[in-house]
Amino acid sequence: MSTAVQPLTRTAWVQGVKDATPLLGGYIPVAISFGLISIQSGFSVLETILISIFIYAGASQFLFVAMVASGAPLWLVVVMTLLINARHLVYGPNLAPYLNKDRRWIALMHGLTDQIFALAHVRLPQLPNEARIGWYTGAAILAWFSWIGGTALGAIAGGELTQRWPMINDILPFALPALFLVLIIPKCNNPLWALTIGASTLIALILKVLGYPNVAIPLAAFCGAIVFYALKNQPSIKGQ
Amino acid sequence: MDYSMWIALFSIAVGTYLIRLLPYLWMKQKLTKSQREDSIATMPTWLTVLGPTMIAAMFGTSLVPANLDTLSWIATLIGTLTTFLVWTQTRSMGWPILCGVIAFGIIKLCF
Repeated sequence: MSTAVQPLTRTAWVQGVKDATPLLGGYIPVAISFGLISIQSGFSVLETILISIFIYAGASQFLFVAMVASGAPLWLVVVMTLLINARHLVYGPNLAPYLNKDRRWIALMHGLTDQIFALAHVRLPQLPNEARIGWYTGAAILAWFSWIGGTALGAIAGGELTQRWPMINDILPFALPALFLVLIIPKCNNPLWALTIGASTLIALILKVLGYPNVAIPLAAFCGAIVFYALKNQPSIKGQ
Repeated sequence: MDYSMWIALFSIAVGTYLIRLLPYLWMKQKLTKSQREDSIATMPTWLTVLGPTMIAAMFGTSLVPANLDTLSWIATLIGTLTTFLVWTQTRSMGWPILCGVIAFGIIKLCF
């Protein structure tokens, strides 16, 4: 994660849109799936789209429609869907040093998803201060609109779409791990961070395979931090 | 949806937004109070460690294919290696991702 400021070759928001484009490969197939499942759970097309507009958090939305469909008490639905997003607590503070005092950032926090955080955490430090809000706006709005558009597609024609073009579900989602790899690999420039990143990645992968997708990210990140603190004073770990 | 369902939906929407907003405002206030030029230095160390480990964890979970069969794992491995190799050559974002997805797709479609 290089922090060297790089000059922009295009308008900031256009650069944000360009940088966020790989997210579409991950967002649209999942959004189509959500639209499809929401309709099957008894929600209307409009309700399904409004859920994506207002909540805009994949795991929460899937849990919301699943719990409602199963007849769970609404207070429990609210608590569980908020708990699932607890990992977002660390995103804003991590970006805060790169954001100026512009009040528009308050509204823009609605777009701070996992993927936008990962992208912004790497890209914002590389951008001139005055270009950051434009870049973030372009990236976040593209992601949000693609999520809403994918949801609408899924709600209206999800079943037919995934049957006719199975690659939507099979191939495009690989854009997401490819994006995360490109974002995280520059950080592995010394043994301490390579081991920390490697441990977090491996633990998250194992937890997901074992069937714990919701705790995988916060728990693996926490374990990676433990690895970092355990190794940082080791004399054999050079290059910190 | 009935009235109570709408209340639940908006409670979740507002709660999710506040989970994203309030910690940001807290840190912004903390950084402003510190009145230092290098705001990164005033952040708690654990927070600067958790940012990259969160991204690494997202990478780990996203690597798990939808179908846990051998072909999907091989396609994931080859897609990841391709992404890495193209990144070492270009040090950019677009080409490594595109080549990784194509390599992944070729394995999935051809085998």
